[in-house]
Amino acid sequence: MAEIWSWITDLGNSKIVALLLFMTTFIVIVIYLFSNRRRSTRFESYRYIPLDDEDSHLDPNAASGDRNKGERS
Amino acid sequence: MSEKAATAGSVPASTAVPSEQYNYEIVKKFSIAAVIWGVLGMAAGVWIASQLAWPFLNFDIAQITFGRFRPVHTTLVIFGFGGNALFATSYYIIQRTCQTRLYSDRLSLFTFYGWNLALILGVITYMAGITQGREYAEFNWQIDILIAVTWVVYFWVFLMTLLRRNQPHIYVANWFFMAFILATALLHIFNNIQVPVSLTSPHSYSLFSGVQDAMTQWWYGHNAVGFFLTAAFLGMMYYFVPKQAGRPIYSYKLSIIHFWAIIFLYMWVGAHHLHWTALPDWVSTLAATFSILLLLPSWGGMINGIMTLSGAWDKLRTDPIMLFLITALSFYGMATFEGPMMSLKSVNALSHYTDWTVGHVHSGALGWVAMITFGSLYHLIPRLWNTKIYSLRLIYIHFFLATIGIVLYIVSMWVAGIGQGLMLRAFDEYGNLAYTFTESVVFLHKPYVVRAIGGGFFLLGMLIMAFNVAMTILTAKRAVPATDASRATAATAS
Amino acid sequence: MKHESVETNAGLLIILTLAVISVGGLVEIVPLFYINDTIEEVEGVRPYTPLEQRGRDLYVREGCYTCHSQMVRPFRDEMLRYGHYSLAAESQFDHPFQWGSKRTGPDLARVGGKYSNEWQVQHLINPKSLVPESIMPGYPWLATTPLDYDDIEQRMIALRRVGVPYSINQEEFDANVERFGEETAVMLDINRAEANLIAQAQEGNFDGDRSFISEMDAMVAYLQVLGTMVDFNQYSEGYFAEFR
Repeated sequence: MAEIWSWITDLGNSKIVALLLFMTTFIVIVIYLFSNRRRSTRFESYRYIPLDDEDSHLDPNAASGDRNKGERS
Repeated sequence: MSEKAATAGSVPASTAVPSEQYNYEIVKKFSIAAVIWGVLGMAAGVWIASQLAWPFLNFDIAQITFGRFRPVHTTLVIFGFGGNALFATSYYIIQRTCQTRLYSDRLSLFTFYGWNLALILGVITYMAGITQGREYAEFNWQIDILIAVTWVVYFWVFLMTLLRRNQPHIYVANWFFMAFILATALLHIFNNIQVPVSLTSPHSYSLFSGVQDAMTQWWYGHNAVGFFLTAAFLGMMYYFVPKQAGRPIYSYKLSIIHFWAIIFLYMWVGAHHLHWTALPDWVSTLAATFSILLLLPSWGGMINGIMTLSGAWDKLRTDPIMLFLITALSFYGMATFEGPMMSLKSVNALSHYTDWTVGHVHSGALGWVAMITFGSLYHLIPRLWNTKIYSLRLIYIHFFLATIGIVLYIVSMWVAGIGQGLMLRAFDEYGNLAYTFTESVVFLHKPYVVRAIGGGFFLLGMLIMAFNVAMTILTAKRAVPATDASRATAATAS
Repeated sequence: MKHESVETNAGLLIILTLAVISVGGLVEIVPLFYINDTIEEVEGVRPYTPLEQRGRDLYVREGCYTCHSQMVRPFRDEMLRYGHYSLAAESQFDHPFQWGSKRTGPDLARVGGKYSNEWQVQHLINPKSLVPESIMPGYPWLATTPLDYDDIEQRMIALRRVGVPYSINQEEFDANVERFGEETAVMLDINRAEANLIAQAQEGNFDGDRSFISEMDAMVAYLQVLGTMVDFNQYSEGYFAEFR
């Protein structure tokens, strides 16, 4: 363990460490997000959550301006 | 269209029944508190800026000297204005996107009183000279405990509300708020490990010393920026920008990448506040590297927000709220470009300890944090009180005052910072220092005056907002009897 | 594990977020506590005397760190202006550290001994009387307020708890004699704290009035010791570079 720490903390290695950590995380996330079409569609459907929050019939208090948005856009 | 949306307030009578579905009372309280602390905090800022330009304003009164008053300013704007705005918007957004009521009215009320009591006590103790001497964490140990308890309750309310959601997916704004709550808890606790002088004494000493203490403090300090002033406000952005634009966020996938990348990277960069100090080189090199990397997700987020408006750019001409939100994102992009640049060791050698840093902070704080908050509050407040905004024109005036203020502020601080940095490192032909420190102080006077004026513009805008908000609320309250009457009519009609 | 389960499961989201945000802090902060090279091996750095520590408390109280740094960087201009660059060792007893982040006024890491006591007192009371261009506020109340040292022992006990080698028993005292020498060890003895504080204030006569121990005594005593503990003539040019 101590050896790993000293390798990580060695000045010469810090950029490599940073690059490795960042790149792996980044690549994994990107691969995950774009590897499956069904998942992609599902994700994009979540975009509408903030706009969907008006149509609950339990929420009669919503401003009318919002409610008309869907119709106009 | 959005102008209409913002102003449309004539609610059909049949829908005017007070809702029990959401807890808006708590959101109202926090929104009003945000505006009040905003006015006070920015006034404190203009005051200390004026003290630097005209030092007689210290008046030899201990309680209001710059050293004791600066924490009052930073605390009130970050935790008072920013903090209350975050409580308000997070409680609003989580209810709307989870389509459920807040978990507990009482506990959320407790967070309101706990948080604002801490702020009031903070102001009093700072002026009395009780401080931990850690930037942005000056609260003494008893107040720290109060904040920690409040924060845990906040976390609990947020989590339990999430668990009660009527929507399987947790909307990305809530991820940002959750990360902000968790990170702030972590930072607050580890940066405030203190040993009190005695149980009755307000004073304490930090557990760490010297280099470790410095690293802990700036790990805290920069992540207060990263999580309190960025991640959380991005949560705000991910709800209010799509909402105000009436169209969904540009890319949900981008928002996921944005989230994980930004919370991972931010935690590494604090040490760039300690370049060239006695902190070991490996730490600051690591911090500089990650600071550069941070540019990518920051700009990813900015693009995601701005592109939400793609195809509807005309809104910028007609909707002042949209103007606030998009300008905020533009300043966010600018500040997150400037930040990595200043974290380069060679640039930092010049910029550190100068007003350039102060200017950079304010391009983020005024340009990004305050502007996105103004936009969000202008969107939020009419909806909370079920009315329309008192005056759209005043929102425009606020916007232009704020923008002029920011520009004056940033430009004067660039001049001050770069100018002083260059003066201090200048040598004459014999290799002696070309300027004394005092000469650089004389040079700073004019930029300081301009900065104070810029701050004054921004404060004036804030005052106009407070007026606009107050009038909106008062008008709404006056309109209530009328609505009741029309509801009665509607009832008879049906 | 699917990302879908993260975004539909609050608990998992929390755990993953915590894991992700912990990495940076762990990698950068934890090693600082056990890598020996972090703090240089250097002679002379000692904990503050009771009077100096009280002065330091006042320095923190007045928020001096909002305008003054205590960290000289290794640049030619800073070394000409302020002196040798600061070492980590020099702030090892600083709870909290006061490196600062802004120089509205000059760096104070090596201000000790640069000016006379009289200059410091006059400058703190009315900076403009000595430096007409100064924008520093006056601190006249330091000269008129009596120094509160009732809790000096409790303060030193608290500092001892966080690792400052103030001695409370014979064993610790002997260790301090070994480490800092007899004269310093006496000053670090908690049992003699009050007597030491009064004696130093009267002998040092920092505020020019021996009969009255003011906050000014403590503040000037602290300012005058800043950056003076290490004798840099003892060390060769390259010695400190090895630790950076």
